[in-house]
Amino acid sequence: MTLLEFARGPALQWSTIILVLGLILRIAGAWLLAHDKDYSRPRVDAAWRGGLRAVFSRFWPHQPFVRQTWFHILAGYVLHVGLFVVVFLYAPHIAFIRDLTGLNWPGLPANLVLFVGALTAASLVAFFVRRLVHPVMRTISTLDDYLSNLITLAPLVTGILAYAHFGGRYETLLAIHLLSVSLLFVWIPLSKLAHVITFIPSRFQLGAWLGRRGVKA
Amino acid sequence: MSTGLSQIGVRVVDAKTGNVPLLLTEIRHAVERLLDSGETHVIDLLALPLAPGEDKRIEQALGRGEASARVDALGPSEFQETAFAGVWLVTHFNAAGEIVGRFVEIAPVPEILQAPEADIRDGLRRLADALSGVNDAQ
Amino acid sequence: MRNDLSLSEVLRQQGVSRRGFLKFCAATASMLALGPGMAPVIAAALEKARRPSVIWLSFQECTGCTESLTRSHSPSVEGLIFDAISLDYHHTLQAAAGTAAEAAREAAMQANPDGYLVVVDGSIPLGNPGYSTIAGVSNVDMLREVAAGATAIVAVGTCAAFGGLPHAAPNPTGAVSVSDIIKDKPIINVPGCPPIPVVITGVLAHFLVFGQLPELDGLGRPMAFFGHNIHDRCYRRPFYEQGKFAETFDDEGARQGWCLYKLGCKGPVTYNACATAKWNQGTSFPIQSGHGCLGCSQPDFWDQGGFYHALSAGTSTSGVGLGVAAVAGAALGAASALGTRSSQHEARREVEQIVNSQPAAAGCARGGEQGKK
Repeated sequence: MTLLEFARGPALQWSTIILVLGLILRIAGAWLLAHDKDYSRPRVDAAWRGGLRAVFSRFWPHQPFVRQTWFHILAGYVLHVGLFVVVFLYAPHIAFIRDLTGLNWPGLPANLVLFVGALTAASLVAFFVRRLVHPVMRTISTLDDYLSNLITLAPLVTGILAYAHFGGRYETLLAIHLLSVSLLFVWIPLSKLAHVITFIPSRFQLGAWLGRRGVKA
Repeated sequence: MSTGLSQIGVRVVDAKTGNVPLLLTEIRHAVERLLDSGETHVIDLLALPLAPGEDKRIEQALGRGEASARVDALGPSEFQETAFAGVWLVTHFNAAGEIVGRFVEIAPVPEILQAPEADIRDGLRRLADALSGVNDAQ
Repeated sequence: MRNDLSLSEVLRQQGVSRRGFLKFCAATASMLALGPGMAPVIAAALEKARRPSVIWLSFQECTGCTESLTRSHSPSVEGLIFDAISLDYHHTLQAAAGTAAEAAREAAMQANPDGYLVVVDGSIPLGNPGYSTIAGVSNVDMLREVAAGATAIVAVGTCAAFGGLPHAAPNPTGAVSVSDIIKDKPIINVPGCPPIPVVITGVLAHFLVFGQLPELDGLGRPMAFFGHNIHDRCYRRPFYEQGKFAETFDDEGARQGWCLYKLGCKGPVTYNACATAKWNQGTSFPIQSGHGCLGCSQPDFWDQGGFYHALSAGTSTSGVGLGVAAVAGAALGAASALGTRSSQHEARREVEQIVNSQPAAAGCARGGEQGKK
C-alpha cells in the first residue's frame, strides 16, 4: 500500500468517523446533562429567539473592546473567513464533500484560493508568535492552544506545497496533505477546536439564558 | 434520420492555453540569437501539450513567407518559410503520410534542406564518372 | 539481415539517403522526448549502434500491448527502428508456428551468448503454475530461464510492470510483476494499459541507440516518457486553475472542454506521455476525448476507489458510514450524559440535605430564589 493509498483509504475513513462521532458525542454529552431549573419568570415569551440571535450577533466584534483587541479581531477574521474559503470553496475540497454527501456548489479559481490560503496560514503564524511573546497570552496558553494552532496550520502548508508541486512529487505531497487533514479531523473533537461546531449550542444556550431575562446580547 | 457529427451536441472549443504567445516569445529570442551569433535553434512542436486547433492557430500566427521546399527522403518533408524570414515550419511525414516530426526551425536555411557533405562528395564522384563517360564517347 | 551491421548501415542498405537519416534522427529525438538538440548525438550514436536480438515473452495478458505495438509497426520511423532490431521470438505473433517458434527462442538464446534484450508483456501467476503456460512450460519457469542470459528486460504494459489487472484485488491467480521475480537484471518498466506505441518503440530505440538503459524513475519507468504527470502537461490545465470543472459528462462544462478533475480524472498522480505523444498518430488522448485519466500507468490503478471518484475523495469513506458514526456519537453522548446525571442528582441531594440542616443558610438560599422572581 502506497502512502497515498493509505491516506485516501484508512486514514481518511477513520479520521472522518472519529470527527463526526467525537463532535456529536461532545454536543450530545453536554446538552443532555441535567440543567439547573431556572425558577424565575421569563421576561420574554420566546427565549429561544435570544439564543438564535446570539449565534449570529457574536460574529461581530463587541464595540467597546475593539481598540484593545483589533489585532485579534482582524487576524481572527482572516483566519476564519480564510479557512471557510479554503475548505468550502476550493473545487477538490467540494469534490470531497460531494463524494460523502451528494451536495455540490461552485468553487473559486485555484489561484485565488491559494492566495487566501497563504493569508490564512500567515494569520495562524502570527497568532502562534503572539502566544509565545505576549506575557499574558503565554500565561494563559495551554498545550492544547499551541497544538491546535500547529495542527490547523499543517493542512494549509501541505496543501499549498501540494498545489505548487514544491518539495516532492505530487502524489507524495498530496498524501502528506491528506494525512495532515486526517490528523486535524482526529484532533478537532479532542481539543478546543471542537468549537467548529460547539460554538453554535454554546452561543445559543447563553443567548437563550440571557434572553429569558430580557437581556439583548 | 441520419445523424451527422454536426447533430451531436459537442463542439470543439478553443482552449485558451496561452501556448501561442509563449511560443512566439521563444521564437523571437531565437531570431535575436541568430542575428547576434549565428546560433540556430529548433523547437519541437510535438513536445508541446497543444489543445485541439492550437496547431492551426500557431500556423496562422506564423503566416507564410516566400520560400517553400519539399524533400523526399523516407517519406515527404515540407519546409515552409513563415512570414518572418529565418523562421521555418518543418513537417516530416512517413511513407504512410502520418506526421512523424513537426518543428519550428530558426536558421537561414533548414539543416536537412542543405545538401550534406557526404552526398556532395558522392555526387562529385558520379559527376566525374559521367564526364569521363562523355569524354570517352567523344 | 546481419547482426554485425550498424543501424545507419542497415538504413543505407535499405536505400535511405543521408537526408533521410538526419530526418530519422530528428524524428527519433522527438519520439524519445530528448529535445531537437539531441538529433546530432543520436546520429553519431547510430553510426556505431549494433542490432540487438530481442525475445518477446507474452504471459498472463490480453494481447492489448502487442496490438498497441503492431499499430506503430505501420511504415513509420519507429517502425523502421523496429525493423532494425532482430525480433527472434514473439510467441503471440508466431503462435501458429508451434514447436518451431520455441526452437527459434532456444536458438536466439544460444546464438547470443553476450546477451539479448527480453521484452515481457503480461503478469506471472504464482498461485498455480497451470494458470498460464506456453508449450507446457509455466510462465515463471520460462521467465527465469530466458532472463538468465538477458542483458536487460523491458516489462511492457502495466501487467508485466506492476501486476496490472490480474493483480487487482483479490488477485485470484496470485499474479506478480517481472520485477517481483527477477532481481539480478536491469528492468525497464513501460507501463500503460496499453502503453503508448511510440513509448514502447521509443524505449527499444533508446536501448538500441545508446546501448544502455535510459534514466529511470522510482518505479523503474523511463524519465523521458514518465517524467511528468498528465495534469502538468494537460491542455485543460488552465481550466483547473480557473476553477472551471465539468460536473457530469453531458453538462455545459463537459461541452466547453473544462477540467475533468471532479469526474475522477487521475491525471495529477499519473505519469505518462499521453498529453504530448497522444494516441492514434497524435489524434487525441482520453482527456481530449472527454474522459478523465484512469491512471493506467500507475501500480494498482484498478484498486484506487473507483474511476469516477475525484482524487480528493477518500477511497473508503462513505456517507452511510458517517451517518452510523453520528448515531453512535449521539448514543455514546446520551449514555455519558445520563451517567453523569445520576451523580448530578446525588450531588444535588447532598446539597439540599446540608441546606435543610442549616436554617439560616436555607433562608438565605430561599431568599435568593425569591429575588430571582
